[in-house]
Amino acid sequence: MQLTGLDLLFWSAGLGAHLVLLSVLWIRRRYKVFPIFTAFIFSNVVRTVTLYLVRLLGTKASYFYTFWSFGIFDTVLQLAVVYEMYSLTFRPLGVWARDLRAAFIWLVTGSIAIAAGLTWLAAPHARLWMQVVIIKGTFFSSACMSELFVGMIVLAVKAGLPWKTHVARISHGLGVYSIIDVLIEAGHSYLGLQRDSQAYTTLSQARMTAYLLCLAYWIVMLWRNAPDSKKLPENMRGQLVRLQNMVDSDLEMIRARER
Amino acid sequence: MSTRTVYFIVAVAIFVLTLIAIAFYYYRRSQKSSQKNWERLLKRLTAVDRSSIAEVALDIIDESGQKRQDEASAALEPSQIWKLVGGLKGLEVIEANCAVLVDLAFYLQQWYPEAVVVAEQLRLSAREIEWQVGRLRSAQETGKLEGAFSMYAQPAVAAYYLMTRRVLALYEEGNLAMLADLRNAL
Repeated sequence: MQLTGLDLLFWSAGLGAHLVLLSVLWIRRRYKVFPIFTAFIFSNVVRTVTLYLVRLLGTKASYFYTFWSFGIFDTVLQLAVVYEMYSLTFRPLGVWARDLRAAFIWLVTGSIAIAAGLTWLAAPHARLWMQVVIIKGTFFSSACMSELFVGMIVLAVKAGLPWKTHVARISHGLGVYSIIDVLIEAGHSYLGLQRDSQAYTTLSQARMTAYLLCLAYWIVMLWRNAPDSKKLPENMRGQLVRLQNMVDSDLEMIRARER
Repeated sequence: MSTRTVYFIVAVAIFVLTLIAIAFYYYRRSQKSSQKNWERLLKRLTAVDRSSIAEVALDIIDESGQKRQDEASAALEPSQIWKLVGGLKGLEVIEANCAVLVDLAFYLQQWYPEAVVVAEQLRLSAREIEWQVGRLRSAQETGKLEGAFSMYAQPAVAAYYLMTRRVLALYEEGNLAMLADLRNAL
């Protein structure tokens, strides 16, 4: 199987960027805070190397199956990264914020329903049913991911829970990439998976370019340290404890009246 | 191009534009929240006109916050309470106070991670009160306010009165330099 210069450029750039990002995660000890995200980046390194070797040495069929197997694994890991970002934002005391549980259910259900509706509308042209499943599945996952990241912004703002600096940077990168990916996957669905489809290949290259930009953003942002937190003045701490006690007693009064 | 494909393209376009608009709107809101400081947040509490709320609240509680047991307590009729609270506008004032407390918790969690426990408890309490007021607003919108009002409004208003009064008292008695301007404004 012949590789073009552009193919080699994307592969080498992707491998290099992932290795640099892994180094940043290791040197700055970010892997301790983001183990799933680190695993996601590591899996991409493994995927890039494996696919390169399979493409050079294997058959077209083996490349196809390897590519989509990694694709499914990658989607699962992306969802795990979403979980990690939600967990770091919405579990400030180690448990999920109780005021958001219903919102989570609505968000996940709504995201799946909307993504499923859009996927149902898609009617990609392909020679094999498996290709249709792959195109629709990829579109569905990118739509879900984009909804979950936008939903994360909405929930954080509405609930008054701040994003930690690096959580915000990772989420922004993956969120923007997911929205771009929705457009690209919609293009793939529209064009279909047909032999010698130059437009299909161009869209894939556009996605790779977007992802490389996302990697560059993560490298810079995760290398930088978060702003230093402030030391809580002793009198302010006392005020807060008293304020909390008062609010608690007010709540008890309301609850007692309801009963 | 088939009709279904046209629908798909239009639906994806609407979907993406909606996501971008929502993300942009809430991202701007989060940026604004990040730029708020302690003084500005507390100043927002002073903007509340609490005289009518106090009258409603003191109908069922005393100055110390205890429930009144005397015969003259709970004398206000729902219609009077509604008028004194200022109807929906008054309830919006109460909601605004909740929003301040949520923002206060946001500020604390962002800049003082060691205060995360207190901030989170404060946030949860404020959110719960916000939800209580939300029930009243929903009842008002569905025309079932009369029944809900006597049950929820006065205790909620009383709770708000106490909460805001105590927050104000906290910074009045506090000696933080950053609260000096606010104390003068009071």
